[in-house]
Amino acid sequence: MNAYRKFFLKKSLWYLVTLFVAVALNFLLPRLIEGNPVSVIANQMTQGMTDSDSIKKVYDTFAAEFGIDKPLWQQFFIYVGNLLKGDLGTSFGLYPMSVTSILASAVPWTLALQLPAILVGWIVGNALGAIAAYKKGVFDKVLFPTFLFINSIPFFILAIIMLYIFGLTLNWFPTSGGYNYQMTPNLSFEFIGSVISHHFLPFISIVLVTIGGQAIGMREMSIYELNTDYVLYSKLLGIKDSTISRYVFKNAMLPQITGLALSIGTMIGGSLITEIVFSYPGIGTWLFTAIRQLDYPLISGATLLIAISVLLANFTIEIIYGLVDPRIKASQMEEE
Amino acid sequence: MRLKSVLSLFFSLIMVIGLLAACNNEVKPPTTNEPTPSEEGNDSEQNSSGTTPRNETLYVNGLQWGPPSTFSPLGGNPSFPIAYANSRSLIYENLFMINMLDGALEPLLGTSYEWTDDTTLHIELNPDAKWNDGEAFTSEDVVYSYELGNKYSISWSNFWEAIDAVEADGDNAVNIRLKQDNPNRLTVLDSLQLVPMMPKHVWEEIEEKSGNDIAKIREEVNPDPVGTGPYKMHTFDNQKITLIRDDNYWGQSLFGGLPAPKYVSHVIYKDNAAGSLAFKKGEVDVSQQFIPQVWKMWEDGAPIKTYVKDKPYYLPGSMPSIFFNMTKDGLNNPDVRRAIAMAIDYDKISELAMSGYSGEMKPSITLDTPSETKYVDQDAIKSLQWTTDIDAANELLDSIGAKKGADGIRVLNGVRLGPWEIECPYGWSDWNAALEIVAQNAKAIGIEIRTNFPEAPVWTNDLQTGKFDIIMNTPAGAVSPSQPWDRARTIMYSEGVAPVGEMAFWNWGRYKNERADELIKEIPTITDEAKLKEMYTELTKIYLEDIPSIPLMYRPWVFHTVNESVWKGFAVEGDGNNIPPQISIDGAGVKDLYQITNK
Repeated sequence: MNAYRKFFLKKSLWYLVTLFVAVALNFLLPRLIEGNPVSVIANQMTQGMTDSDSIKKVYDTFAAEFGIDKPLWQQFFIYVGNLLKGDLGTSFGLYPMSVTSILASAVPWTLALQLPAILVGWIVGNALGAIAAYKKGVFDKVLFPTFLFINSIPFFILAIIMLYIFGLTLNWFPTSGGYNYQMTPNLSFEFIGSVISHHFLPFISIVLVTIGGQAIGMREMSIYELNTDYVLYSKLLGIKDSTISRYVFKNAMLPQITGLALSIGTMIGGSLITEIVFSYPGIGTWLFTAIRQLDYPLISGATLLIAISVLLANFTIEIIYGLVDPRIKASQMEEE
Repeated sequence: MRLKSVLSLFFSLIMVIGLLAACNNEVKPPTTNEPTPSEEGNDSEQNSSGTTPRNETLYVNGLQWGPPSTFSPLGGNPSFPIAYANSRSLIYENLFMINMLDGALEPLLGTSYEWTDDTTLHIELNPDAKWNDGEAFTSEDVVYSYELGNKYSISWSNFWEAIDAVEADGDNAVNIRLKQDNPNRLTVLDSLQLVPMMPKHVWEEIEEKSGNDIAKIREEVNPDPVGTGPYKMHTFDNQKITLIRDDNYWGQSLFGGLPAPKYVSHVIYKDNAAGSLAFKKGEVDVSQQFIPQVWKMWEDGAPIKTYVKDKPYYLPGSMPSIFFNMTKDGLNNPDVRRAIAMAIDYDKISELAMSGYSGEMKPSITLDTPSETKYVDQDAIKSLQWTTDIDAANELLDSIGAKKGADGIRVLNGVRLGPWEIECPYGWSDWNAALEIVAQNAKAIGIEIRTNFPEAPVWTNDLQTGKFDIIMNTPAGAVSPSQPWDRARTIMYSEGVAPVGEMAFWNWGRYKNERADELIKEIPTITDEAKLKEMYTELTKIYLEDIPSIPLMYRPWVFHTVNESVWKGFAVEGDGNNIPPQISIDGAGVKDLYQITNK
């Protein structure tokens, strides 16, 4: 267990360093974009003004309020200090709303889009992949190229194509938003129906690509396992096919499960572009708006949320694997 | 193995829940309806259905594109129905209402104004006026509202460059005293229709609570504004803002009754297309959106009208122009600028970029409207006004010795004419189209211009710091008593303009002409009309000779298009009512609300 403690500490330290770097980049990168971040608000305020000094004052007031008149290193420490207090600052673009409140309204939409899509894609993809590996023949010859084709389409391109066909041409589904904005959110069948119909296209565009990727991976793993010695040995022993396939799939599933855990960890930032294509009110759309308006706090807040969720997911998986995976265990022992 | 997957799932979920919780202990954004004491308990019932009776509601659109953030006039970017530059008078009212048809200031909270001496403006107030919480509106409130601009850096701070003091003269009158060294009458007249009247008794407390710190005061989102206007806040969320009529509105004596719609509602559409579709279907009554080929709507049988019955359908309110950077070699030559001006196909720009809503281009510092052209002797400037003429432009360039090189681009005194970048924000499709046309036209006269469309904040930065070759912007876009002086100042005035590299807020091309500066400085103090016309004519001549900017199109101040499927009787041109097309809620346009009826 001592070895494990060491392993755990080492990993934690690495992740903390990574987190610090991520925070620093989140802070720095948006500020490297050219442009005038207070222009969005200040322009509004100074409409119709006829005096340089007054206009300049308005700019300066806002610059001081957002702290962008201070040197960058000072801004960074203020930013980190506020982070520790759980304060992500005030949005420039949606002044005076706080970044946390904007993100809080966006996260549920992102999760509601991603979680079902990942689960459905994963289950269906793995089942299809396994069947293809096991059945071989015509089934595999048709299915495998199809998976390959779907998987190699970038999912946002697929999103745009679907938007065009089912949204614009056939008018089967709405083309943007999370629900019909003429409605007020409530628990009526009408409203829930609206949410579902807006959800369908982005959801399907993610699911299809996920299925393709999962199926290919699962098929590869299964074929590999089917050709291992123990399978041959079991066959020679005369063990029932169904029992053998149970062994095979158990082993083939391993990396797939890791993959699932990872994609659930990266869920928050996983569908940014799909959201943008469909103007879905999740993190992606907000991040896009924020970048266009040079809304530093909102950009930093959204990217930080994504970074933290990815790091946490990875960390959790590593720590658990350290406990249960014999190979990692062995390497810990070696270091002793 | 199973343990591993279950655990990782479990942890991811824990993490997500943790994040959500972390987000949730913040102050809630003002996206939900905050029930207010003034609403008599029908709030919940209104919200569950989220609708108001269609025939009692006037729907407007095109004024609000994102979720509402604040209703405070002091906030950075207040949401509908608060709009400083447009004098939107539904909740907060101004002293006077601007009428874009004749440029007149019509009485509202103020009944009359007059210059009692050279530097004193005396304003009589309407004694009936009161706030929607029942308190009387007095001169104290006027002084307080003006003083806010003196105390803090806000939208109306600039008036204090010309104002020395605002003093109460009894309960129902105020005197505005101008500074002796800058007696700018024009900007002060602007203030009469711009400064929103705010209740002293409400905002004093907010100031106190915030320790007189403007950043703190701006945090007040003002969900239930106390104003003098005919409407109060009813409900708002991320999709819709609804106002409800104040049946005790003081202005019944002024307007002869209450406004017809019990509710005024603004739905927040995702984009122009969604808004236009709703408008066409009759879900919106008054639209402030750019609708390409609006005539197709009534040809398709929708009961849709523009204020002007025939082409160009809308009245001009501003002129989006291109500005030249005077510090760039080649562009600093007025002949080159004139050649570019003559090469541009203005009709094509109007057709492609403005769907034909821009009338014939008559270059000047004034709009082609009676309220502005009266200031300039039109015959005297005729010979200087350019029109599209490629041959003449080429001749002009030949005559100054700009010869074409092997690549077809001219070279003048060793300076190649281009490549120059011409810039405006990405996604402003009408402007993008206009600049593409300019770039194409320039090629025909041997000048190379390339378009560059960055995001809006970048464009703002380039504009102000002079980091451009040619850039598009609208000089002084609002209709106000100080036009066309304000526009001329924005285009030509060089005092207070920082050098390239620092921020300038007008005259972005850093143009300088001493005589023009003198004229611009003097005009606001002149009252003699003949003298004024003389000065404006001289200024226009300088503009047309030097060409610091080229107007590309005329754009309405607001797009005013109405659908009469629910409400009818909106103002139209020539109906004799003198109600301007100001979307029925801005300035004197608000009079529309008193004459429309249910169909």
